[in-house]
Amino acid sequence: MKKVAIFGYNRVSFEAISRIDREAHDIKVFDHKPEHIEQALDNDINATLLDFKSDECLRSIGIGDDINTLLCCFDNDSENVFLTMSARALDKDLQIIAIIESPDASEKLLAAGANKIIDPYQICGHKIHDMLKRPDITDLFDQTVFGRNDLHLAEVEVPENSFLQGIFASQLELNSHYNLILVGIINKQLSDQMHFVAEEVDRQLNSGDILVILGPSREIRAFKKDVKDEYCKI
Amino acid sequence: MLSRIIVYLAYFLKSSKRYKNSKLFFWNLLENQDSKLKSYFDFLMISLIFLSIYFLFYDTGQQFSVMGGYVEICIISIFIIEYLLRLWIYSNTHEIIIKDYEKALYLNIKFNLTKTLIKSILNKAEYIFTPYAIIDLLAILPSYRPLRILRIFLIFRIFKLFRYSNSIRLYSDILVTKRFELLTLLIFTGFFLLIASVSVYIFEFPENDSDIHNLFEAFYWAIVTAAAVGYGDITPHTLGGRIVAMILIFVSVGIVAFFTSILISAFNEKMPELRENKITSDLERYRNFIIICGFGRVGQEIASHLAKDKQKFIIIDKNEHNISLARKLKYLAIQNDATRNDVLLSAGINQGASTILCITGDDVVNVYITLTSRHLSKDIHIISRVNRHENLSKMYQAGANNVILPFEVAGLLAAEFLGQPVAFEAILGVLQNRSDIGMETILVTEKSPLDTQKIEQLDLLQRKLTLLGVISANALHLKHKNKYRVKQQHFYFNPEQHFILRQGDMLVILGRKYSIDHFRNEIEKQRLRAKT
Repeated sequence: MKKVAIFGYNRVSFEAISRIDREAHDIKVFDHKPEHIEQALDNDINATLLDFKSDECLRSIGIGDDINTLLCCFDNDSENVFLTMSARALDKDLQIIAIIESPDASEKLLAAGANKIIDPYQICGHKIHDMLKRPDITDLFDQTVFGRNDLHLAEVEVPENSFLQGIFASQLELNSHYNLILVGIINKQLSDQMHFVAEEVDRQLNSGDILVILGPSREIRAFKKDVKDEYCKI
Repeated sequence: MLSRIIVYLAYFLKSSKRYKNSKLFFWNLLENQDSKLKSYFDFLMISLIFLSIYFLFYDTGQQFSVMGGYVEICIISIFIIEYLLRLWIYSNTHEIIIKDYEKALYLNIKFNLTKTLIKSILNKAEYIFTPYAIIDLLAILPSYRPLRILRIFLIFRIFKLFRYSNSIRLYSDILVTKRFELLTLLIFTGFFLLIASVSVYIFEFPENDSDIHNLFEAFYWAIVTAAAVGYGDITPHTLGGRIVAMILIFVSVGIVAFFTSILISAFNEKMPELRENKITSDLERYRNFIIICGFGRVGQEIASHLAKDKQKFIIIDKNEHNISLARKLKYLAIQNDATRNDVLLSAGINQGASTILCITGDDVVNVYITLTSRHLSKDIHIISRVNRHENLSKMYQAGANNVILPFEVAGLLAAEFLGQPVAFEAILGVLQNRSDIGMETILVTEKSPLDTQKIEQLDLLQRKLTLLGVISANALHLKHKNKYRVKQQHFYFNPEQHFILRQGDMLVILGRKYSIDHFRNEIEKQRLRAKT
């Protein structure tokens, strides 16, 4: 179970909260403005009032301890930068995702220690461009993977002593056994990059590799369960 | 009897389609500013005028040339035909006749033919006395031998150029818009010159060695001095004359400055319009361009992508700062309100624009632009931006084809990054065409070798391609499971091996771009071979 702290309640974070898979993530929402807290409560989201400027408060909610991911969603770029710096000082390994308003803030946030920057305007611009250039694919993904349809992308790690070890990627045949499509493999020993199955020469799986699969959530769950089960054989 | 025949003829012309069409054609050719024909015709006429001027001077310099004579006859006949055509399309005489006739019928009085004819002739005369028509006539008349004295008017052929060149026309337009200021200045200058010339005449004329022999010479001197030209052929010799000269020079500096400033301000006022004219005439040459309404952050992002793709687009924004930014980046931009019909029309919504993007920061404005565009054009593709979720349905109601919510998309991305950061980044890279792995669609066309093939026959594994699914509207496939609704079609995720492809299906394929291209080429080759 990943622990996620979301700072700042607004349209972006509301959307993020409603999309995050609650089964795999433990979400906590914080804000320093009482009116935002009220709005959150109106939408059935349990938000807590917290002063992000004090390290004491950050530590008290588990940053530097058990929180894995921090999402900075404040409307104000300077607040996001401040939060990122404080959090990075408390925890070197924390994954920090920040939303920005103005494009100049991107460099500052990266310097402050954010791992990933999301610029809503840039993404929106990109998206409209995609709609113009590749309407079929964009529509497809908007309606399925990004939309509310039950088709998801998932990362599944190959555990130690799993039956998957030593098997060639082509032998998996996930599409006939599980109704899943194997899109790519992340080989943790080499890099953090994902390699598409299509571009790779067939390779053997090792423990620690991460399989990236696409499919309905029921099939993903079934596959995840079977992977953990040592005695299962495909 | 005669009046009956004429009225009959008028009705006949009114009902004749051919007459109407030919009149429309000549109107397009001669008068319609927006027609392509007119620009060709104008170009032709400009070259003819230059040709005729060339022969004119060739004639005056050398002996009479036979060739020049024929060319002159040709050109003159074209000028005459043009003149008559313009006279013809200026008004509809038959309509005047019919109107009068029906009026007489209604009032139950006798139809008076002469009166009506006089009326229509006066109507045509109205055209004859317009400045352009006079110039046209003067360009023709001197060629008639008995009127050779009018040779000087051949210079009017050059004035005829006014007709065919927009830039010259614009200059005269500017003068017309500032006519009040110019007239005031002209009257003042006239008075002043008169005073100066009379006084210099009074001072200089009685002197023995005077250069000024009459009032005309005094006037000529005043103008030459006032315009700061000062040839020096006539100079004042008396003290009085020199004082007049000094005053004249000082005042004329003011007059020239005033005149220049009037012209400059008129040009400045006309400049935005000029620029817009240039943009719209540029746009007419393009097909399938995109109109971007709103050049904020989102608009800038899209414009930079489109510019990279060499896709033509035009930006409309009210904000001066945004427009100057767009111009700095050398994008076509109009500073105006995109909610107005005429602005969208002049941006070419009905002429070659394929898509309109309503992406200002304000939902109300976006809805309004969407509504306006849909009203103006039934077929245009509209992509709109909405900031608040509750406005989504309004936007679809207003007629948008696609709606995008920037903050929702950002939230969604944040959520996906939390879940599977690496995979998501990779897929996003593919979707945005950043890596050499591509996701593309292959259409099963008519007579394609893919038609009626099973998935297992495609041999995709061998080609190192991953089939994600098939998009199809074909009802034959509905029995298959794993279907997802995508607009009017279904997406069949991970189709079984025995899934049979039909014409119109689209394969969604993930793989290296060149292997997808290779696959597509092979299919195309097979299709062509099957045809022959």
